[in-house]
Amino acid sequence: MSSRRSRVSEEEINRLVSKLQSLLPETRQRGAGRASAAKLLKETCNYIRSLNRDVDDLSDRLSAIIATMDSSSAEAEMVRSLLRS
Amino acid sequence: MQATKSFEQAFLKQMLLGIQLSAVSHTTGSLQERKSAIKLSADVAMAVARGSKKWTRGLIASLSKEEQNRSFLQFVLGKEFERPAKICHSSWKIPRSKNIVRRSLRFLSKRQSNIRAPNSSVLAGTLVEKRTQVLKRLVPGGESMDAFSLLDETLDYATCLQAQVDVMQKLMTTLEASKHSRRADSDAQCPKEKFHLLAMVGSWYSTRKGLRKRLSKRPKLTL
Repeated sequence: MSSRRSRVSEEEINRLVSKLQSLLPETRQRGAGRASAAKLLKETCNYIRSLNRDVDDLSDRLSAIIATMDSSSAEAEMVRSLLRS
Repeated sequence: MQATKSFEQAFLKQMLLGIQLSAVSHTTGSLQERKSAIKLSADVAMAVARGSKKWTRGLIASLSKEEQNRSFLQFVLGKEFERPAKICHSSWKIPRSKNIVRRSLRFLSKRQSNIRAPNSSVLAGTLVEKRTQVLKRLVPGGESMDAFSLLDETLDYATCLQAQVDVMQKLMTTLEASKHSRRADSDAQCPKEKFHLLAMVGSWYSTRKGLRKRLSKRPKLTL
């Protein structure tokens, strides 16, 4: 493995890491300083898990609302118009 | 990837289509079945809206492992789905990363700190290795990714998940608001209100704040 190649990759990794940090809610608030790799991974995993939980919860609530929608309701019309656009 | 408006719109459309598709067979289903159908629509919509990434292929692959998802996937993805080669594509280009993974595993078992795999200086250390494994299981298709791809795909996946949550939240807020206003004005047909809602949803994507502003400005209905 040539050292030139790994140097470019290090830059790219650093770029990815800082993008990831700015995405995560906790590290974004804390601002400055680089979290350790271990901490970054932990927060990333936690974040993904919490987003998945949100999707799960929203699926629950959406299915409840949609179940009570009938085809003449305002909601159904809205859905239809969204699909038309 | 920044979660773009076009991604959110494509996602919403695809999800609504999917929900309608599954509504045909799920009007009388159990609560759990209906919820699973919504979630399936949302996940497929997210993958379709994003296009070809390792995680999207991984997501479709893991969804297709469950029997009850197959007919839906077949319908939505059509020819794409029938070609298993496409779904397994993420496992094709791995010769290099396979070596990296093998080296990392050897590192773990032998605990030799002077074995360094390429691109792994960020990920050296047992705790980091452990958490990397966890992340690999969380990101669809992650198991077969090398360190760099994992980071890259994670970033992309998390961004899309955020957008997925955002759009679903907005959809729910809008539907709930519409129901609430209808209850207050139950008997009268209210074309004005319908129009208002359509206009509100239509400008969803002009500003995120627009929705919140409009909801708070809505006149209170009096009976």
